[in-house]
Parts: sequence; C-alpha cells; structure tokens
Amino acid sequence: MSHPDVEREWVVRFLDDLRAAEAAGAEVLDAWIAVCPLDGLRGGLRTIAEREAGHAELLAERLAEIGFACRAALPEPIRVQALARFGSPAVADEEKLALLLLRYPDAASASRPITAVLEHLAHDQETREMLRLVADGEDATLAWLRAYHEGLIRSS
Amino acid sequence: MLREAPGPERARVIGLLDAFQAAERAGADAVGRWIGVCRDARLRGGLRVIQARDRRHAFLAEARLRALGGTPEASVSRELTALCRVVGDPGVSDRSKLAVLLARFPGPGAEALDLLVRDVGDDAETRALLDGILDDERATVRWLRGIRDVLDREGP
Repeated sequence: MSHPDVEREWVVRFLDDLRAAEAAGAEVLDAWIAVCPLDGLRGGLRTIAEREAGHAELLAERLAEIGFACRAALPEPIRVQALARFGSPAVADEEKLALLLLRYPDAASASRPITAVLEHLAHDQETREMLRLVADGEDATLAWLRAYHEGLIRSS
Repeated sequence: MLREAPGPERARVIGLLDAFQAAERAGADAVGRWIGVCRDARLRGGLRVIQARDRRHAFLAEARLRALGGTPEASVSRELTALCRVVGDPGVSDRSKLAVLLARFPGPGAEALDLLVRDVGDDAETRALLDGILDDERATVRWLRGIRDVLDREGP
C-alpha cells in the first residue's frame, strides 16, 4: 500500500486525464448527434454523451475537493480531427461506429484502465467507488455501441 | 405560433417520459440529501455518481418530451415521495436506506424501466435513449447491492 500522499499524487493525474478524455468524448458525440440521421443511434448517443459529460463533471468536482486544478486536455489536433470526422454528415454512421470500436477490441477494454486503478486505490475510498461506477458506465457504452453496430451490419 | 397537438401515440410517450423525468428528479434530490449526511466515504462516492446520473436522466427525458411537443408537468407518486423522504432522512441509517431502496428491485434490477422501454412502441429515438438509461439503472442496483453486502458483513 502506498503512502496517502504518494497515492494522491498519481490519483489526481489519472482523474484529470480521465476527465479530459470524457469531456472530449462528450463533445465529439454531440457533434455526431447533430448530423446523425438514424433515430435509434441518435437516441443511444444522446444517453452516452450525457453519461460521458456527467463523468467529466464528477471528476472535475472530485479534483476540486482534493485541491487540484484541472489542467489536462486532449491535444488540439486530435480533438479537431475527431470533431471533423464524427461531426461530418459525409462519413457514414457505420464507418464512425467501426472506427470507434476498433479502439476497443473486447468488452472490457474501455473500462480496463479504470478498473486497474481501483486495485491500487487504498486510501481514497470515495474516489474508488466513484470510479467503479464510471467503469461500469464505460462497459455499458461499449456494449450498446457494439450491439447497435452489429445490428446495422446485419440489416445492411 | 400554435403547435399541432400530439397524436395519441405520441401523447402516451410524452406521458411516460414526463412521469420518468419527475421520478428521476425527485430521486436525485433525495440522494443529494442522503449524500449530505452520509459518513461512509465508499457509499458517498457511489451515491454521487448515482445522483449525477439521475439528474442527467431527468434532463434527457425532459429534452425528449419537449422535442416531441410536450411540457413537463408530472408530479411523483405518493409512494415515491415517501421513499424519497426516507432516503433523505438523516435519522435513518445507511443500511436501512439501502434495504428500503433495494426492496423495490426484487429481480435483476430496473424492471419498471424495462417495461417502460418496451411500452415506447415505434419511437426508435426514445427507445434507444431509455435503453441506455436502463443500463445505468441496472448498474446502480448492482452497485447498491454490492455496497449493502459489504456494510452487512461489517455489521452495525
């Protein structure tokens, strides 16, 4: 078990990186929703975007309580490229889904970086339980997107 | 400008969404009161995520019902009001609150919402939106059961 100060040092960095990723994810999903012509996909994306934005907000709140100022951000070229691709009506939804799912080869690959941290979080139990539910949310997101993608392929 | 009145099917979905958003809002408020008096850091951490999700679910349902031409006007049932009172009561123990809450979910969890999703009919966007929310609710029930078991093992 690491010293509380040592734990806090790496935990805040992890929370900040995760917060930045979740906030960027929500932003990209909002851009996708705005051009998505499929009712079912749009509905699911709305829930997922809210989930991601909620995670980002909770993590920012937790960091503020710990006394850490948020500073992580997705590199601007990556953010701009993602917004352009996922916010483009010219890119098919099936292609967007495939691109996203390529990053997560198995059911737990979105939550694995978070669950790996849980095992090492011994002192900050409040953050640990928050992260446990955030990890569940990531699994649910991936499962929904995968199921929708498979349905889309079957119907085409 | 006058808006066309929604048809019976749409009006039914608006009614379902309205009842749901009112329940989620009341639930989020009650959980917020619980967090304010909860001394267990683990429980508080999970409750914070649950509260944030319930708020966002209420927002999503309200946005959808407005998109369908409705306005939120539902109030919560007497039964839910009573449950919310218990959950927010500083004089009731955490274990009792968990027992009262979980008594509502004898099955795998969120069956009432599952029925609601099936009741939505042909509205694919609303159905997918609620389907994602259902995933969150199942995760909530799973987590509440887990923390209840932990607290029960630890004793009073």
